[in-house]
Amino acid sequence: MSPSPRSSRSSGRRWASWGRLALAGAAALAVAAAGAAERRPQVAFANLTEEPGVTLEGTGFTGRDVREGFELAARRYPVDMVFYDNGRDGGRALANAEDAVARKVDVYIQYFPDPEVNRRVADRLRAAGIPVLAINYPVPGAPLYTADNLAAGRIAGEALGRFAAEHWRGQPVVAVLVGSVGDEIARVTERARGVREGLARLLPGVRVAALDTRGNPGQVGPLLGRFAAAHPGAKILVAAMDDASALAAKAALEAVGRARDAAIVSHGVDRSIHGGMNDRKELDPNNRGSIVLGSVAFFLDRYGEDVLPLALRLLRGESVPARTATEHRLITHATIFREYPPYDMN
Amino acid sequence: MTRVSALLIPVVAALTLGAAAAASAQTDCTKLVPPSPWGPNDQTGATNRVTPAVTKAAAAEIQEGKVIPMSYILKDGIPLFGSRFTKTILTATSLAPGAAFGENQLTYMEDTWLSQSHVGTHLDGLGHIGRQDCYYNQTPMGKFINQNSLTRLGLEHIKTFATRGVLIDMVRVYQQAGKLRSNPACRKPCLDKGTVITPADLQAGLKMYNVTLREGDIVVIHTGWGDLFEQFPAQNALFNSGEPGIGKDAAKWLIDQKVVAVGADTWAVEVIPGENPKEAFIVHNMLITDNGIHIIENVRTDLMAEEAARTGRATFFFSMTVPKAYGLTGNFVGIEGIR
Repeated sequence: MSPSPRSSRSSGRRWASWGRLALAGAAALAVAAAGAAERRPQVAFANLTEEPGVTLEGTGFTGRDVREGFELAARRYPVDMVFYDNGRDGGRALANAEDAVARKVDVYIQYFPDPEVNRRVADRLRAAGIPVLAINYPVPGAPLYTADNLAAGRIAGEALGRFAAEHWRGQPVVAVLVGSVGDEIARVTERARGVREGLARLLPGVRVAALDTRGNPGQVGPLLGRFAAAHPGAKILVAAMDDASALAAKAALEAVGRARDAAIVSHGVDRSIHGGMNDRKELDPNNRGSIVLGSVAFFLDRYGEDVLPLALRLLRGESVPARTATEHRLITHATIFREYPPYDMN
Repeated sequence: MTRVSALLIPVVAALTLGAAAAASAQTDCTKLVPPSPWGPNDQTGATNRVTPAVTKAAAAEIQEGKVIPMSYILKDGIPLFGSRFTKTILTATSLAPGAAFGENQLTYMEDTWLSQSHVGTHLDGLGHIGRQDCYYNQTPMGKFINQNSLTRLGLEHIKTFATRGVLIDMVRVYQQAGKLRSNPACRKPCLDKGTVITPADLQAGLKMYNVTLREGDIVVIHTGWGDLFEQFPAQNALFNSGEPGIGKDAAKWLIDQKVVAVGADTWAVEVIPGENPKEAFIVHNMLITDNGIHIIENVRTDLMAEEAARTGRATFFFSMTVPKAYGLTGNFVGIEGIR
């Protein structure tokens, strides 16, 4: 399968000014710049998949969200982006790396889950002298930028526990995890473990059940409905593994008349749960009474903001931490417009 | 003084002190917004720069008497930001049989215009954009509003926009640099949304027409994105979804040139999505809140761009009517470029 990269020239200062930074350091950059006075560094990003509708990392974000985040972030840097789509296909991922070698890109950012493919990609790029960054799945010898599912889960669990301690003191409380709680590839299992830890820290002894919907939000209604019926006198803390499950959980609890007994915290903060000025969605400053208390942000749409600075450090020959994790934060109705300022006119 | 009233005094004093403490707890605007260079009482902002000498010099741009429209038609269906609306209602009762006046059968019609002020081709006033509750010239705006309007920084304080206009044709700049990525929905070449216009881009556009900015100029940027506005309502969603525009560096450069206003054929003048996803309309803050420089949105620029390309001259007398509407934060405007 032949790769079909897309290029994008980011606006920003020209190579000449960038060169001043390069002088400070970098063997890799010197190699990249040799014989190409006008050429700006090329940063390749090989996305996990851009197949429409396919969501990533157990959240509602798509590969397109990730790629567009890189496109937007790249505008601030004097680099040209080269985009590849790994298409969830090992052969294609290897072909993309080959193409990048042929193009002599300056840095390669690999986003692919298969360890064997990543090992071969690393070997090929290392042989070509191209530094590599890995996203979410390790590539041998490459710095890793990754979601921290355990930390995210803890934030969610603590938020639920704090809410129960403040509002339901002395009342029976049960907790339930809802979503793809058994998904090990996307590390939702770590997320679930984090939720349990967070809950245990603030609500020691609380019972925590798990309802595995295997990624199908349509399963949330029947499963959660039965769970609510089985706990008629209890307050219910719902830790949704993703935003779609959170919205389905809210609908399910409303359907069985238990919304007033429940609080929900989610993971992701994708566009299904927040909007802009007019497309009022669940997380909105004007919806503070919602039983969805918030969602722990995974910022897949801002990977570019975090990863491109690491790539530039590699270009300059500077050291990069072996592991950099997303700074997950709980986003609520009170903070959503601060974290995601609306700019839409629709 | 009775015993009761004597007891009450400390209570009242305490309440008064409490109120004072609460009042002093509001945002300290001197820490959020710079002072105006025209003094602590200034509510006029950058139009202070339009002196008689500036207007007289701008009049030299009128050489042929040719008038180029630079406003879009304002009517139902045009793209609008957020929950904004504009609606006209025609009052035509005298057309009813028997309702005409006198032997001359005079009839008349009038309109009721129910509209948000920031619609169509419009001016952002100094009371439009703040940082927290702090607006231009360190104005704690919470103290200066009532149910109907601003009591400081309203449009009535603007002096005049009778100055030189300078068109910067970004489409040509990007075409000549070989970096134009047009949006397929534009019928004519346009910069695509998200394109950051830099100081170098602006300077290239000025150099193209051999123009040097002067203090008191109004800069109008042609991006081609306005072509989507003209296709309303078909392309409203795309037009609204983002836009090309100036980034922070370009805004800073224009501030340094001491311009009076910056306009463009886009709905926010600045690049959307912005350069930093956690900043909201930051160029608005830079121009309006911090420097009293007006923003003019949805300027029709294509005709002037064509004129400039045809004649090799990108300057004109900027004629814009702004109503002396008390306490308004902005208003739709009529702009003509006179050559």
